[in-house]
Amino acid sequence: MARYGMVIDLKRCVGCYGCVIACKAEHVTRPGVMWARVLKAESGTYPAVRRLSLPLLCMQCRDPACLPVCPTGATVQREDGVVVIDRELCIGCRYCMQACPYGARYFNDGADTYFPGLPTPYEQSGDDRHPSGVVEKCDFCLARVERGLEPACVANCMTKARVFGDLDDPESDISRLIRRKAGFQLNPEFGTDPCVYYLPP
Amino acid sequence: MDDTWIPSACSLCYNQCGILVHRKDGVVVKIEGNPESPLGMGRLCPKGLAGIMHLYDPHRINVPLKRTNPVKEMHADPGWQEISWEEALALITEKLGRIRQEDPRKLVYAGCIPSLAPLNFGMGIFMPAFGSSNVFVSNGHQCGNAEHLLAATLHAALTTNPDLEHCNYLLVFGSHCGTAAYYALTTMAQRMADARDRGMKLVVVDPMLNASAEKADEWVPIKPGTDGALALALLNVLLNELGICDAAYLREHTNAPYLIGPEGTYLRDPLSGRPMVWDLSAGRAKAFDDPSLEEPALEGTFSVEGVEGRPAFSLLKTHVARYTPELAEQITTVPATTIRRIAREFGEAARVGSTIVIDGKVLPYRPAAVVYFKGAHGHNHAWLTSLAIELLCEVVGASNVPGGLLGCNPVCYGHPDTGLPRWVPRADADGLLLPGLWFGGSEPGFSNTLYPPPEPRRPQWLHLQDLLPTALTSHLPILTIQDPERFGLGYTPEVLINYGSNLLMSVGNPETTAEALKKLYVISFNLWLDETTAFADLVLPDASYLERLDPSPNTHIHHFPVGTGEWGWQIRQPVVPPKAERRHFSEVLLEIAERLGMAGDVYSVMNHFYALKPPYRLDPSRRYSWEELADRIYKNYFGPDRGLDWFKAHGVLRWPKRVEEAYWKPFIKARVPIYFEWMTAVGERVEKIRQELGLHELDTADFRPLPDWKPCAALLTEKPGYDLQAVYYRVAWHSFSMTYENPWLDEISAAADPYSYFVSINAATARARGIRDGDWIWVESAGAGRVKGRARLVEGIHPAVVGIANNGGHWAPGMPVARGKGVFFEALLPLNLRALDPVTITMDADAKVRVYKA
Repeated sequence: MARYGMVIDLKRCVGCYGCVIACKAEHVTRPGVMWARVLKAESGTYPAVRRLSLPLLCMQCRDPACLPVCPTGATVQREDGVVVIDRELCIGCRYCMQACPYGARYFNDGADTYFPGLPTPYEQSGDDRHPSGVVEKCDFCLARVERGLEPACVANCMTKARVFGDLDDPESDISRLIRRKAGFQLNPEFGTDPCVYYLPP
Repeated sequence: MDDTWIPSACSLCYNQCGILVHRKDGVVVKIEGNPESPLGMGRLCPKGLAGIMHLYDPHRINVPLKRTNPVKEMHADPGWQEISWEEALALITEKLGRIRQEDPRKLVYAGCIPSLAPLNFGMGIFMPAFGSSNVFVSNGHQCGNAEHLLAATLHAALTTNPDLEHCNYLLVFGSHCGTAAYYALTTMAQRMADARDRGMKLVVVDPMLNASAEKADEWVPIKPGTDGALALALLNVLLNELGICDAAYLREHTNAPYLIGPEGTYLRDPLSGRPMVWDLSAGRAKAFDDPSLEEPALEGTFSVEGVEGRPAFSLLKTHVARYTPELAEQITTVPATTIRRIAREFGEAARVGSTIVIDGKVLPYRPAAVVYFKGAHGHNHAWLTSLAIELLCEVVGASNVPGGLLGCNPVCYGHPDTGLPRWVPRADADGLLLPGLWFGGSEPGFSNTLYPPPEPRRPQWLHLQDLLPTALTSHLPILTIQDPERFGLGYTPEVLINYGSNLLMSVGNPETTAEALKKLYVISFNLWLDETTAFADLVLPDASYLERLDPSPNTHIHHFPVGTGEWGWQIRQPVVPPKAERRHFSEVLLEIAERLGMAGDVYSVMNHFYALKPPYRLDPSRRYSWEELADRIYKNYFGPDRGLDWFKAHGVLRWPKRVEEAYWKPFIKARVPIYFEWMTAVGERVEKIRQELGLHELDTADFRPLPDWKPCAALLTEKPGYDLQAVYYRVAWHSFSMTYENPWLDEISAAADPYSYFVSINAATARARGIRDGDWIWVESAGAGRVKGRARLVEGIHPAVVGIANNGGHWAPGMPVARGKGVFFEALLPLNLRALDPVTITMDADAKVRVYKA
């Protein structure tokens, strides 16, 4: 069984937010919900200053902090490592959101549509995918992966900064990249052992 | 059940990348990049992905509207009344029919760049058929006019891009090439990442650390408007301190050896009239193309029939000597040691003399390039600055060879099956490069190229490009419409056809533009009731890019990636039918032409524009549907089997680029000027007409053959308290101001990105003014308006600069998502002839400002 993971090359990423929109377009997420995000920050002082764009998504941790706190068993980890939420079981208590150290989870409070009060036909086409009152997050685009496609953010990234693959296969592109380019996990001190790795800027 | 993927082309910026649109049960549910298209190769920027929200915006216009309130004011309600298309077209036919009889020049046309194909149908086909050349592009002043002039004369192309497949050292002046904007962004972003991955050094000269500088190995902060001084100092160090240049290239491929006489003009062979060079072997002057020529001199002073002449290169070398790194440091704030180091790095990276084998051909290998855009040339000495920057590549031979700066596809030998479309540059009698294709038409000679420049004439057109013939586009109608008499035009413009451009927000200070719009009967084709429609008399509901057919979305191959790879000809096709009463602008223009009895004229122009040959040449006495016209264009170029149906099914026709197309320099015998000898004469003629017309503010001193640096209008502005310079920058998720209405893209700026809806200001500069992060501030221009925004204190910006992303601050109720979002940069720019580069019609796109808490 594969252990799905992702590598994000911070040297390639240009901080364009394409991943944010590719995700949104794939999943018809509601306003304010960003399963894929990008943070930007500066370091140093003028003129010796750098800026970094840091794309974020659910880290699909091997030891997910969100899982044990779920009172209903709605959050489960699949054999391939992907952490998923059973919408039927989720009661919207949001303990998982408190527990996730990466802020990857969103509560769907039934927010309005992108044009307030005027849902587009596109948004209506995704209505059944986002019941209100439950927590949602990135699932590595399992529906695409099962069809043999890459996750939407990977397939679209216009700098090819993202690689998706099997972490358990030492010969996979992703495993090799992590070895060869000193891949690292974000905030390993959180102790959740993420399956999303980063390559240095 | 309807579940299909339709190939088409994006239109949310000028690039027109290939897309695949997923339609399910009649609803567009996904837009992805088309992997078959060389433009994007399956990957899109955020704008392209967000096209769904553009299509389904419930605030779009659905029906024709007629104004009932005669008072035109910026915030006045036009009192729209819904009318039928029939009524609208009858009104238009009456107006246009009358003025076409009286004087067709009374018709003015403005369009916007992102809708490139329909823009060109109006500008390059309908208007010439009507008989008026009064066309302009609203975002024109944000265009690369100066770059276009250099691209035409040095690269035989409309635009340029660096060869990232081979470049090892890229020096960027004020551009977001491969990171956030610029030509072929989605492809160039992939190549930029690959290049950096393999170790290309990226040095970014920019007042701000944004997307481009974020990815740089070295960010070189610079005072806005001084990039030319930096480039001149780099040239000086290369030529006079390090002695680095590609002499063989300069002798063979440029006019560097041409002898320049005391008047600044070529010494010409008395018999042939050809420019002469000095043959060191023979010890005498010969015509540049004399077959006996052995060793052309690049330096020295020579006497030819008693007249002293110096090789152009010699003049350049002497000329740039005054730009020492120390002087440049004072002007640019870039340390002299940095300038010397970058010059050495660039010069060494160019590997003068080296070769590379590609596809079995031995080619010069010059893996050092520059790329520059508005940050560098968005000032009123755009020509002199751009020339300085381009010459960095020319002196080391890094021009249209692997690794250097490339023209965007100036050589095309056509599809292997048909040999079409085809364009090849050639040399004129002086040996200098002439483009084979120019913006718009594919038939050589259809439209004026910038070189050789047409003789400057007393203006008869509002854009003044007849007076200033070295400019590609012009924003000047905004000024000339208001006072045609002052410019000697001899008629008063009456009607404006506005294709989707938001003139009021895109040509500097809106108060000035408003005065121009008040003078005209405005027929406006729009997606939304934007700020400009407040001045319209008639608003027509336009079809969006997902609702229309454009047979040539890229107007041939404009904005395609440079270098090796593939050619591609795309289709834009409707993926859903136009909703309500929306109609495709180009089709409406055809109907108007039919009603005016000028359809045959339109076809005649199309025959030229697309170089249509029998059996696809259009018969002016016949009538064709839009689809039939598209079919003929495709078949004309690609044969009877590849008509409209083929393109609808396949989306894009690709064929491989030949190495002779990608890197044409070694294969085509045409020289490029490093000394623009003809420029002085153009300037003298312009000066004479300027004096006759009494256009005192127009400064013609910049029509010069060699680069220089002069302070731009903003730098010359001395007003107590106005001590900062405001500049704008571009982000990957917005196009000009249009996309602010897209709620997905708005959400990025409003909820995710920390900078783009703020005014970026250096933290120390802000603190000295008592401004804290998040404070509301006013940015007040010394010469135009003031705008309000929230301060974002950053380290990554020059201390004398405030930075504003794109152009926001919409106020039209018809664009409720965009309304009040971001900062209205254009309001800060005064619109006048003083802050203008007459060589390229470039206005100073920065402003001297004062900043204070609101």
